[in-house]
Amino acid sequence: MARLIALVLLRFRIEVRSILGARERVFGLLLLVPGLLFFSALSCFVALFGVRALEAAQPEALVPALSAAATVIGLLWCGSPLLAGVALTESHDMTRLLHFPIPLATLVASSLVANLAQPAVLAELPMLACLSLATAGLSLRLPFAFVGVALSFLTILALAQLCGLVLHALSRNRRLHDLALSLGIGLGFALSLVPLLLLMRGLPAFGGVFGFVVRTDIFALSPFAWGVRAAVYAGRGELSGFASFALLGGCAIAAAMGASAHLIHRIYRGDVSLESGMRSAGASRMIFGGPLGALVEKDVRSAWRDPALRTLLLLGFTGPLFFLLVITQTHLDWRSGRPLLLLAMIVGISSFGANALGFERRGIGLLLSFPVPREKLLVAKNLSATLFRLPSFFTLTIATLGLASAALLPAVLSVTLVTMLQAAAVDNYLSILFPVAVPEPGKNPYGGTAGGGRGLAASVIAMLMLGMALLLAAPFAFLAWLPLLLDRPGLFFVTLPLALAGAAAVYAMLVMGAARLLSRREPELLERILGES
Amino acid sequence: MNEAAIVVEGLSKRFKDKTAVDQLSFRVARGRFFGFLGPNGAGKSTTIKMLTGLLRPSSGDAVIEGVRLSQNLLGVKGLIGVLPEELPLYERLTGEEYLHFAGRMYGLPRSEVRRRTEELLEFLSLTDDRRKLLLDYSQGMKKKAALAAALIHNPRVLFLDEPLNGIDPISGRVVTDLLRRMAQKGVTLFFTTHALDVAERLCDEVAVIDRGRIVAQGSLDEIRRQRQVEGGASLEDVFLKLVAADVRRDDLSWLG
Repeated sequence: MARLIALVLLRFRIEVRSILGARERVFGLLLLVPGLLFFSALSCFVALFGVRALEAAQPEALVPALSAAATVIGLLWCGSPLLAGVALTESHDMTRLLHFPIPLATLVASSLVANLAQPAVLAELPMLACLSLATAGLSLRLPFAFVGVALSFLTILALAQLCGLVLHALSRNRRLHDLALSLGIGLGFALSLVPLLLLMRGLPAFGGVFGFVVRTDIFALSPFAWGVRAAVYAGRGELSGFASFALLGGCAIAAAMGASAHLIHRIYRGDVSLESGMRSAGASRMIFGGPLGALVEKDVRSAWRDPALRTLLLLGFTGPLFFLLVITQTHLDWRSGRPLLLLAMIVGISSFGANALGFERRGIGLLLSFPVPREKLLVAKNLSATLFRLPSFFTLTIATLGLASAALLPAVLSVTLVTMLQAAAVDNYLSILFPVAVPEPGKNPYGGTAGGGRGLAASVIAMLMLGMALLLAAPFAFLAWLPLLLDRPGLFFVTLPLALAGAAAVYAMLVMGAARLLSRREPELLERILGES
Repeated sequence: MNEAAIVVEGLSKRFKDKTAVDQLSFRVARGRFFGFLGPNGAGKSTTIKMLTGLLRPSSGDAVIEGVRLSQNLLGVKGLIGVLPEELPLYERLTGEEYLHFAGRMYGLPRSEVRRRTEELLEFLSLTDDRRKLLLDYSQGMKKKAALAAALIHNPRVLFLDEPLNGIDPISGRVVTDLLRRMAQKGVTLFFTTHALDVAERLCDEVAVIDRGRIVAQGSLDEIRRQRQVEGGASLEDVFLKLVAADVRRDDLSWLG
């Protein structure tokens, strides 16, 4: 028991220190607490009144509906390390504790107990109480209902721990680790679109799913659901139902913990033998010549092989699609091209915040050790950022051709390009003045020792710089769009080259200035990024 | 051969209230194998970082091969090769791609980059693993890849921070033979190590740094004479005498 307490305290101490170690994290926590309280109150309200309303209107639907809800929450909780795309290797890494003579069961239990005191978990406790109250009311059955609900919750935590360990085992193989990250990020993105799709399709689609769940009661087989089912039976005074599902729930928790202990044992004894993950990367010669070409090629190759960075390409496709979806819900006239102008500016400005130097992570020390003129470094970084956004140009082209007319395409692409140039140029300054190291794929972004954010003042300056980038781009965007305003398409031959040349000239001036700034601030930049990553 | 390749003038680095390097001044002649020794936290890596332009000195300056660090940082970077202790490699590149990249960044022509890459991979026994990502390399292999990248442009001064850490004895011998050959050809080697036997075997001259200050500098014989250590004393004996005078040697009586 003393070891269990010591382990739990150790974990708390580390977590508290990681939060208190940086002002940004303390501020983040201060922002998080009201949010958690709000969602806790909201979930209490939904649990209490939603369950009562359903019990009154469709009592036969309550058990299947609660089972489905518990299962969905459980699956999301289990997949959270994967969905967040981070912390695969860290969340359940007990390597540092294995040298001590601690029984594996104690390690598993300590992790579970420490998880219970996480803010996100504590915020769920009032909801558990409300759910118990909703199923049993203020009666003698209430404690039994609470036991049932608590069993479901513990099952979620225990299975989440098991899933975390499975992911940790996978992370021992670099390829599986990368694959899991890619899938997780893609899945997380898809899930984030669900509310939008539901809003678009309306409630009938949701009603259909609900009807299917009630008819089949398919989630009766889900271990996450057994506890809440026991709670409902306890509330209805059905002792046998309560006892059987409570027993099943208890068994599920014990099985999950046993499996976790077994898995820890096998992982750390080397029994879970996953192949090393090494592979040939095929042809391995760099193609482009000169420092500029080599830098761009390095960035493209590295990003393509890095699951977290590869998602930039995915976002390049889907980001504009998302905005397109939003814009199509408005009553703007597509033939006028105004929605496309807006979309082109949005796509263009996406270069801002590319954080080119931060993406180098520890490689920044290496990059700046080369005797390459700094303006070339910055241009290469901006070129890479633009290349990663090529899919947005593709989406934009399809949207222009599909929703407006081909005649608008040169103007739309020119506006995107001039905005992108100015945004990238201004972002260079932000990247140099307030560098932020991007966490390694699979590493916890909040787990570092130094401050990980830019700070409030820097965020305000970043917003001002964003405005400045838009201001700088505006005259050139206007020039590119002018023929459409005047309804004289022939003018494109004059205005587009002028807009592009002007934007390129301003870009060049900004880059020269940024290069001088970089030369002056190189050591500070290195200290900041290397200290963080 | 006796011209100074490295001239350090009053170099200091302060981190808040801690002085990591304190008024360091020394010269290293061209073509010397210069060992920079000291206990953990003495300021060795901080000095190397300052000399290679990765850390701004709080005061002082240095001249590398006639180029002043504070005036022409890029010029200095073109002359030196660096093998840092912590290896910041582009791990999503293959070993071969990484060397190609490094060669291009030093402005070498494509054909020359290819030729030197082939030779370096062969020499450091990395040919079979040339198409694996650096991420999948062992620590020793990463060290060899980083060393190859530091050598590809034929630097005039080579800064090596713990170059033999993690390298197997066979590769270690190959590397030390290569470094010795480079020194004979006029390349200046500035290296730190904890392996005092290696330093004793390789170095023409050593400087011992402790708490940010140089406490001894010269050939081993010169230091022995300066510190009045008997003639047959090893570098380890001299080192311990220089920096470990106040080490507590209390008995841990409960052990064993």
